Amino acid sequence: MGRAQISRRGLCRALTSGLLGLMVGGSVRAGVSRRLVAVDWAMAETALSLGHAPVAIAELIQFRKTTACVVPPGCADLGLRGGPNFEALQMLAPDLVLSSNFYGFIGPQLGRIAPVLVPDLFVPGSAVLPRLRAAQTALARAVGDQDADQALATQTEAEFSQLAAQVASYAATPVCVVTIGDARHVQIFGADSLYGGVVDRLGLRNIWREHTQFGFNAPVPIDRLLDFAPARLLVVGEVPPSVAKGLSQNIFWSRLPQVTSGQVTWISPSNPYGGMASALRFARALVAGVIQ
Amino acid sequence: MTLWRYVGLGAMIWCLGAMWMAQAMVPIPDWPRPLTPAAQLSLDQLRFAFGFAPRLVLALLVGAVLGLSGALMQAVLRNPLADPTTLGVAGGAQLALVCATILMPDVLLWGRGPVAFAGAALTTGIVMILAARQGFAPVGVTIAGMLIGLLAGAVSTAVTLSQGHYLLSLVLWTGGSLVREDWSGIWRMGAVLACGAIGARLMLRPIAVMALGSQTAVALGVPVAWLRAGVLLLAVWLSASVSAEVGLVGFVGLAAPAMARRLGARRPGQILLAGACIGALLLGVIDLALIAVARGGGPALPSGAMTGLLGGPLMLLLLPKVRAAIVQSHSAPHRRERADLCVFWLICAGVALAAITLVWGRVPLGWGMLPTQLWPQIVPLRAIGLLAAGASGALLASAGAVLQRLTANPMAAPEVLGVTGGASLGYAAVVWLVPAPGPIALALGAGVGAACALAVLLICVARADLGAARVLLAGLAVGAFSSAVLAVMTATGDPRAWTVLGWLSGSAARVTQTGAVALCALALLVLGVLILARRVLEILPLGTGIAQGLGLRGARLRIGLILLAGLATGAASVLVGPVSFVGLMAPHIARSLGLVRAGSFVAGAWILGAVLMVLAAWGARSMTYPYDLPLGLFATLIGAPWLMIALLRRRGL
Repeated sequence: MGRAQISRRGLCRALTSGLLGLMVGGSVRAGVSRRLVAVDWAMAETALSLGHAPVAIAELIQFRKTTACVVPPGCADLGLRGGPNFEALQMLAPDLVLSSNFYGFIGPQLGRIAPVLVPDLFVPGSAVLPRLRAAQTALARAVGDQDADQALATQTEAEFSQLAAQVASYAATPVCVVTIGDARHVQIFGADSLYGGVVDRLGLRNIWREHTQFGFNAPVPIDRLLDFAPARLLVVGEVPPSVAKGLSQNIFWSRLPQVTSGQVTWISPSNPYGGMASALRFARALVAGVIQ
Repeated sequence: MTLWRYVGLGAMIWCLGAMWMAQAMVPIPDWPRPLTPAAQLSLDQLRFAFGFAPRLVLALLVGAVLGLSGALMQAVLRNPLADPTTLGVAGGAQLALVCATILMPDVLLWGRGPVAFAGAALTTGIVMILAARQGFAPVGVTIAGMLIGLLAGAVSTAVTLSQGHYLLSLVLWTGGSLVREDWSGIWRMGAVLACGAIGARLMLRPIAVMALGSQTAVALGVPVAWLRAGVLLLAVWLSASVSAEVGLVGFVGLAAPAMARRLGARRPGQILLAGACIGALLLGVIDLALIAVARGGGPALPSGAMTGLLGGPLMLLLLPKVRAAIVQSHSAPHRRERADLCVFWLICAGVALAAITLVWGRVPLGWGMLPTQLWPQIVPLRAIGLLAAGASGALLASAGAVLQRLTANPMAAPEVLGVTGGASLGYAAVVWLVPAPGPIALALGAGVGAACALAVLLICVARADLGAARVLLAGLAVGAFSSAVLAVMTATGDPRAWTVLGWLSGSAARVTQTGAVALCALALLVLGVLILARRVLEILPLGTGIAQGLGLRGARLRIGLILLAGLATGAASVLVGPVSFVGLMAPHIARSLGLVRAGSFVAGAWILGAVLMVLAAWGARSMTYPYDLPLGLFATLIGAPWLMIALLRRRGL
């Protein structure tokens, strides 16, 4: 009994000191930069690229796997993006919460804890890259670091222009960016997606003129790809073995001229809901794949 | 004979639609001959021969298999509500596939079929063990099936969430996509249908005798237990084959036999045949419509999720004359009830539990007490969530208790009656139509939606009397319709769909102080009304005649109580989302504790609902910290095993 009490007290003490330490550390650092937490992944990447790493990011386990940025080891997990853990958020005592229009429905709850930055990032029918750029500026202004914004923007533009120059000779052939859903369905990326935005920025022609078909379950049957036969097929991401087997037996897939002539470009997975860093990584992979 | 005239009419509509679509795709002279090698076909011909044509045939086959399977289950269980989804078959198949995809993806190289069948067989086996304890009483079997189905669904959601991502192919699979690219699935489905038809034909005579009641059947020398097991096994195999081939296709198995009976099928053989035909036509017509939508530039919608769109309203239209009667099971023998003591202990447990979860649980550094320095910050936050969760649990449980009493049917619950479906439609409508809606607008939307669903329910069943089975069928139809509409909304990929999806999962963390207080006040109000009305609740289940004889205005009281249940459900679902099954489980747990008389039953269910949700709120917050699990899901994970144990211990409900 006595031992249990002691250990419980010890635990309490450890908890308290840990949390207090977290807070004190925060208030000390607040003089230099603000304590950011990110609910939205694109905004998390934007903050990381600007050099203002958030103290916590939502769905950190998956984010670490897919992001193009380096996440500092001390970063905490906030839980689900659509339903972050408000208790954890409250304990972190942030100065600014980075959200986006995707999570507008939890805006009021976030607003009770700290000011919220809610840029419109992914809007159907609207180009993504300019919106990311605007969000980056807004974030830089909020943390009072416009110089970082300028430097990052210049660097990003320079790299995009350099990559665009490398694929300038391929501009005539249209491209079609897909990810494989299952053996019968794909997701296709239009100009209003991160991937589609990169294709446009590189000066390539995206053959999919409709809105992006990337959502909870808005997939495109594979036979639609036959309509885009002359286009270069860019497949993003890995394909699970069972799907690969089904794909090889799919008569429409095997009939695709790109498949019969072995001209499918496989691109390493990126984060379709990421920020400018993911866009750049995708652009590099795309250019490497196309030139090859 | 009108039955076959209707079936013929449906077949004609389907044929005309299919022909029109086919010639719009490829002009008739260019139709590819059978067995032409794929390499010689043009693009359009290829699509016609390997995409369009097999999909048409597959829709018919799947519909027929499901119709037959549902008709078999309904015949042998003598229960108009039995179908693959209510018996937990589909849930088991889904769970097995989710686990295989996440934990052992290599297993799927052998095909989805064996995996799905293994899962379905396992859950059905458990259901049958539970059912055997009840002597295969129809109501008991269906409750066990729905429970296992719920549990399987909750576990698969938890497994998916614990991996931190949802799986696209799985979503497609559960949606029941009929998109094809060859004929192999058609041969498989055709073979399944043929085997099913032969099996049904062989067992037709004993099934017909069974339809007279199992005692009669025993007297006539039918080996009832063996026959029941055999027919169920056949039906389970049929629906598991569909699960493996195309995924979850809801509602056809329930609606097709019901429509067959409504259109005049009487003998079991007739119902089986007509059920299969109507099932085929139902799915065939829906799928044609979806192909047309996709060809017209619309989204490619999963057929399996859309069956409710046509089937739901059709069912409601036919409802007034659907022959649906549930054979009531004999209630458990009255035990001497120690209600006061039981309710007292429940209250104590609830208060203690609430107090503990307020300060103990998971914090960033591990399990333990909340450090006292953080109390002023965190405790009010937790208290609001706790109050709201408890109040919504109490509201749902009282709604369930009232509905179960009223319909004298232990399967009634707000979720089963489609009230939560209506609430989610209302919520989604507000999200879609009002720019930047506030919490009050959303609450109103959900409440109005719930009330509308109830109104539809009342109109549909009021024309006849409020027969128990008919109310349930109408509720299932409303629920199927609303889930189909929600599926269309999410399929558009619109950001607003994320709002709805976020709400669908349910969480106590988003409630405001005002919201929590309002919910508590409403919960107390409902409790007061129900305690005052306990005499009515005691008498109404005895039947209209007795109620009138005792001087009660049955119809008016029923409508009033149903409205009360609807409002309670609407208010609660704003918080916990539409997928909680507290309303079904809490009253059952109350009964399994021996609370049988109306007053103590309602009070016990009220408290149990609150306790269940308080526990769920705590678990959902702590178990996978910092990832919040959906509230309703956790309530199911706690409540369903308890109920299963209760079912195993006691004979009868």
